[in-house]
Amino acid sequence: MLLPKFEYHEPLTVDEACRIMGELGQSAKPLAGGTDLIVNMKKKVLSPSHVVSLSGIADLKELDSGNGTVKIGACITASEIAQSETILKSFSALSKGAGSLGSPLIRNLATIAGNLVSARPAADFPPALLAYDGQVVLMKSTGERIVPLSDFFKGPGQTVMEPDELLTQIILQKPPAGSGAGFIKLGVRKTLEISLTNAAAYLALDQDGSIKTARVFLGSVAPTPLRSPSAEKILTGEKPDEALFEKAGEAAAGDSKPIDDFRASAEYKKAMVAVLTKRALNMAFKEANAG
Amino acid sequence: MKKLISVNINDKEYEVAVSPNQTLVDLIRNDLELTGTKKGCELGDCGSCTVIMDGKPVNSCLVLAVQANGKKITTIEGVANGEKLHPVQEAFVEHGAIQCGFCSPGMILSGKSLLESNPKPTELEIRTAISGNLCRCTGYQKIVEAIKDVSEK
Repeated sequence: MLLPKFEYHEPLTVDEACRIMGELGQSAKPLAGGTDLIVNMKKKVLSPSHVVSLSGIADLKELDSGNGTVKIGACITASEIAQSETILKSFSALSKGAGSLGSPLIRNLATIAGNLVSARPAADFPPALLAYDGQVVLMKSTGERIVPLSDFFKGPGQTVMEPDELLTQIILQKPPAGSGAGFIKLGVRKTLEISLTNAAAYLALDQDGSIKTARVFLGSVAPTPLRSPSAEKILTGEKPDEALFEKAGEAAAGDSKPIDDFRASAEYKKAMVAVLTKRALNMAFKEANAG
Repeated sequence: MKKLISVNINDKEYEVAVSPNQTLVDLIRNDLELTGTKKGCELGDCGSCTVIMDGKPVNSCLVLAVQANGKKITTIEGVANGEKLHPVQEAFVEHGAIQCGFCSPGMILSGKSLLESNPKPTELEIRTAISGNLCRCTGYQKIVEAIKDVSEK
């Protein structure tokens, strides 16, 4: 299977990468882990005339943790995230999402930014990052902007990014004490599986034990990762228990908009949204109570 | 335009000119004639092209040859010590964990890589570690047993 021909660029700094992307515009594609871009180029879905490798840029490999903020460099791989103690301690749902992506071999290549930029509705990183209210840093030669991840996705394969922009960093605020999150993915098999549905939930509890903040995000049941406002409304201000989570799960199923496809029927996915949401909430609650 | 790269494969330094659109697996198999690394799906699904790059097993069909510049790579040819098989290879032979053999290079490299970071893995950890390597003959049981056997020695 041959790759189409292209010119290869290997900048060593973010500035240089931005300059190249700015000059080449739509004819260039940034290459991070390659697990998406190279596959699409082999399938001739994409044939950029220029490929800009980001793997030589040391800054994009940095995980910066301090002052309650964690900054994750774009080119940090899924396996590095799944194995990071910092991530596991503060963002266990992200750790779980990272560990369920692709296969171990894929996880050693695939990067966190690649999983966001490719904007697949079933991707494993977005629900957890959204539940943690993450932001992304987008850079180009004329400047940078910070975009909340909740405004980032526009459709399958579509984001708010300009052709000459690079996603350089993911910013997360460390959740306060008395909060927790969960991520759960359903597939027919455990590895190399595109989620039938996935769900992430975040809960922050008040002093009296009631739910102060709730965030519920679903994958694979809409053109983009989907927030469930109905579930969040049911949860907020209430005392958490099994019955409440069950109700929130039903509400999330109501918000979801899955389609029938070869993976599963819409009806089945909807039913599973209820189950996965409930389980993700249980995980979040357990973690909130533990720490 | 071809680019000159230097890459360490199985402790040997190579200086080679590669085309940007050449994958690492094609460099290894076609240019360097190390045909132990197999090509299966070529899309990262089957794991038959597994090599260890900078200590981590990866699908060499998804890496550009030019990206291997400055990297240290182990292919299946670099696993045995001369005529003496690596313990994982020996266990595969003893357990009959090889049938057609097409997945074996990748399986052995994934198994070896697991044992280096986790010398006493559980069965689940073994199954997870080889989950990116497909085998259509053995049903995996003998492969899992072979890797488990090495970890118990």
